Amino acid sequence: MRWVWFHKLGSPKYFYFWSKPLALPLFCLGCLCLAVGLVWGLVFAPADYQQGNSFRIIYIHVPVAMLAQSCYFALGVAGFVYLVWQMKIAPIFIKSMAPIGAVMALIALVSGAIWGKPTWGTWWIWDARLTSVLVLFLLYMGIIALQNALDDVVLANKATAVVSVVGLINLPIIKYSVVWWNTLHQGATFTLMEKPAMPAVMWIPLLICVVGLYCFVASLVLWRMQSEIMQREHRSSWVKQEVMYNNGF
Amino acid sequence: MTYTSFLKSELLVLWRRKQDVVNAVLFFILVVALFPIGVNSSPEFLSPASGGIIWCAAVLAILMAIEGVFKEDYLDGSLEQLVVSGLSLPLLMLLKVVALWVSVVIPLLLVMPLLSEMLSLPSGAFWVLIMTLLVGTPCLFFIGIIGSALTASLKQSAMLVMLLILPFYFPIIIFATSAVQAAQVGLPYSGLLAMLLAMSLLSLVFSPFMTAIAIKASVS
Repeated sequence: MRWVWFHKLGSPKYFYFWSKPLALPLFCLGCLCLAVGLVWGLVFAPADYQQGNSFRIIYIHVPVAMLAQSCYFALGVAGFVYLVWQMKIAPIFIKSMAPIGAVMALIALVSGAIWGKPTWGTWWIWDARLTSVLVLFLLYMGIIALQNALDDVVLANKATAVVSVVGLINLPIIKYSVVWWNTLHQGATFTLMEKPAMPAVMWIPLLICVVGLYCFVASLVLWRMQSEIMQREHRSSWVKQEVMYNNGF
Repeated sequence: MTYTSFLKSELLVLWRRKQDVVNAVLFFILVVALFPIGVNSSPEFLSPASGGIIWCAAVLAILMAIEGVFKEDYLDGSLEQLVVSGLSLPLLMLLKVVALWVSVVIPLLLVMPLLSEMLSLPSGAFWVLIMTLLVGTPCLFFIGIIGSALTASLKQSAMLVMLLILPFYFPIIIFATSAVQAAQVGLPYSGLLAMLLAMSLLSLVFSPFMTAIAIKASVS
């Protein structure tokens, strides 16, 4: 197998033209999946025998919480790639991904609080999973703040990459917090290997929601990266040509 | 310049600026004093909370001490000299943390008997508190110095360093305070101390390299 395609993706220009036709189909697919999954889950899935209808927030809470962690994992990998191989595309990815991840972590916290009120009787509790997701949100905000505070682009790239890599340590803490500490938060809803404990009519819409949100976020990141590439490379001739072409000159 | 001369000069600089160390300790005592005054001064509240109060105050004092470590070095150009000196930059950063740790944590430990009396910490838990500070604070320094190195070239960076670094301190505070609380109620605490030591050792391996990357990015 040849790795040329992978190395080419490190170049902003190549990435721009490679990702351009991908974003819109991904966005449409994501929206479609989200619509199908949410309507199925929120309207047609049967009510839970214990929690009644309040369990339905799972169709928002679980996908968003998964995305919040996946986004940070991607951030950490990109940071590592930048520190080791100095790929130009990695800091662009970090800058585009961080705000989306922050929003995901925030929605996960808020939807968790809304879900916690009817089931646990409290909005917030200092449980290991909740606290570690709060830390995840704060890490995202720290990365965004650092990125905005540093005027020097090279320094900002390096700095955010370093923080992204160091912050990876939080992910196993989130993942295993429900296993290591005996706390209120329930265990994982999905595992890769085992059959879910829920009936199929309840977990299939959840799966569709998760896939849909992944596609949705991927398309948003691609769009943000494209505009970031345009901004960073605004002196190069291909960007000028691209802008002229898009405006019909 | 050699590694030993670097360590010596670092310690000498810290010794000549005694006021900084004194300020950090005063700040620490003031934060601790806020809790009995602000929340509740009865021994029933203070005794179980004392470990947490001392740790939170120590974290803040250490952050204050660590936030501006590279500021002077950056401004007078000696940071650049370190980068081009031909010595291993991660190793120099490690020595820097050692010097800083000695100059900040030892004074904190010296005022600890006084504070534990003020907060009516049970005498059985006192040595556990000292142990958590000894094995836990290196991790605070190793993580904090990364943030300090990242923002060395900024003028106003104190707030940013706090925002960046404090989230990483959560697990350390959790394990340290649970060790003290476990000692107070007679539960085994050696596992929690081992976790703290593990985090310090992990950050010892990890942080000098990250700090060196950040320093190189800051001075270039």
